[in-house]
Amino acid sequence: MKKRLAKLLLLLFLLLPLPVHAGIPLDAVQASVNKVLDVLRDPKLKADSAKEIKKNKLRVIYKEMFDEIEFSKRTLARNWAKFSPAQQKEFVDLFEQVLEKNYMERILAYSDEKIEFYKESMLSDNQAEIQTRVITSSKEIPIFYRMIRKDNSWKVYDVIVENISLVQNYRTQFNAILNKNTPEQLLDILRKKVKEQ
Amino acid sequence: MKIIFVMKSFVCLAVLFIFLVAGCAHSPARTDSETQSGSASSTSKAKTTTETSADLSGTPASPGNKSANTDEYDDEMEEEGEATTIADPLEPFNRAMYHFNDKLYFWMLKPVAKGYGEVVPEKARISIKSFFSNLGFPIRFLSCLLQADFTGAATEAGRFSVNTLWGIGGLMDPAAGKELDLQKQDTDFGLTLASYGVGHGFYIVWPVLGPSSPRDSVDIAGVYFLDPASYITPWYYDAVTKSMKIVNNTSLSIGEYEALQKAAIDPYVAMRDAYIQYRLNKVKGKSGKTEKVKLQQPGKKEEKGK
Repeated sequence: MKKRLAKLLLLLFLLLPLPVHAGIPLDAVQASVNKVLDVLRDPKLKADSAKEIKKNKLRVIYKEMFDEIEFSKRTLARNWAKFSPAQQKEFVDLFEQVLEKNYMERILAYSDEKIEFYKESMLSDNQAEIQTRVITSSKEIPIFYRMIRKDNSWKVYDVIVENISLVQNYRTQFNAILNKNTPEQLLDILRKKVKEQ
Repeated sequence: MKIIFVMKSFVCLAVLFIFLVAGCAHSPARTDSETQSGSASSTSKAKTTTETSADLSGTPASPGNKSANTDEYDDEMEEEGEATTIADPLEPFNRAMYHFNDKLYFWMLKPVAKGYGEVVPEKARISIKSFFSNLGFPIRFLSCLLQADFTGAATEAGRFSVNTLWGIGGLMDPAAGKELDLQKQDTDFGLTLASYGVGHGFYIVWPVLGPSSPRDSVDIAGVYFLDPASYITPWYYDAVTKSMKIVNNTSLSIGEYEALQKAAIDPYVAMRDAYIQYRLNKVKGKSGKTEKVKLQQPGKKEEKGK
């Protein structure tokens, strides 16, 4: 009896559209992630030749979803002010390329893992954390998105995968480099990194 | 192989020694603030000088706004930086060990795990993983008890009996199912010590075992003594069992280490930071971190509903 009830409930849950809980930042992330999934699952783009089209589409979504300047500022933290405006611009650009080169392939390799959006907590009036998890056959990977409100739209400024903040991780690395080197040398390291890939 | 065995007991002793020497007397908050204050004073000076130049450059954002923004980052930096740094006095040794482990992974573990993964189907590998995880029960159970987390200990005991009896010796995990909902207690001796207020100390990379700290090394020793596999005789069966466990688990997570390593600018620092962030967040999670959850305003919610 209990089992039947459980099955029925499960069926009901499956029939329901995704979470009813509706915060604005959560919706924003979910919409973007769904767009990514649509591109990845698009049968028209299955062929290998369509890879570039997929990449371009994902890039557009990324621009909408992320606040890349906020992202760079936070990874450099105090050091941001040591960069000249031109250097800042180049840094944002290079850093984005480094990330893209490394994560694009992983995103493209994504198959049909399930993604759950289950919690939204406000960190402050204009910052929020959205907790999601990716469920694969062998494990669950918690992925949290930190978001900030800018001109009434919510943008992601940090991604926390399995408790490890991406911004924090790069901040530690850049800090270590900038303790011994100038901003120009850091840019040089990044240029090399982009080239070698 | 015998060397590995001897090395293991040496590691245990060394860990205890290091812990006694450094772990207890090492108050983490203090070292953090020490290193922090040194860099803080120098960077704050730099900040004041560069801020004015940034304002002069006449970027579209209003200057008042801009300085407020940088202050915010500084504060956040201060907060996060203090919480998530680890002293690394052994850096040259650690870097050497990091490279050793890196080579070990790419030259040995990965090819073996890949071949193994091609032969053994994923479902079987997941079962084997839960089998080994079930054997880790004594560590989790004791850790829960030592942390006075009796609910956790009861959950673990329940899980162990259910999974051993109905889960074919632990090959399956029926306890975590919807009906029983006994979830694995994610804890170990390192976290137990943390709950007693022992600081993590400094960063150390063990050969084969990877990133650790004196505090978490206690867990390595604990795992050795409490893992049933350690009591298999003769000793080489023990070694085989443990290698099997490592290869099996690696086969399920191939690509994760590579991703971290490839995306990093300085992989060693990236790894160290990932380790300390991961552990500190676990400690935080254990001590019942209260999250600021603010509900959305009801008016907005209704709007959304439509």
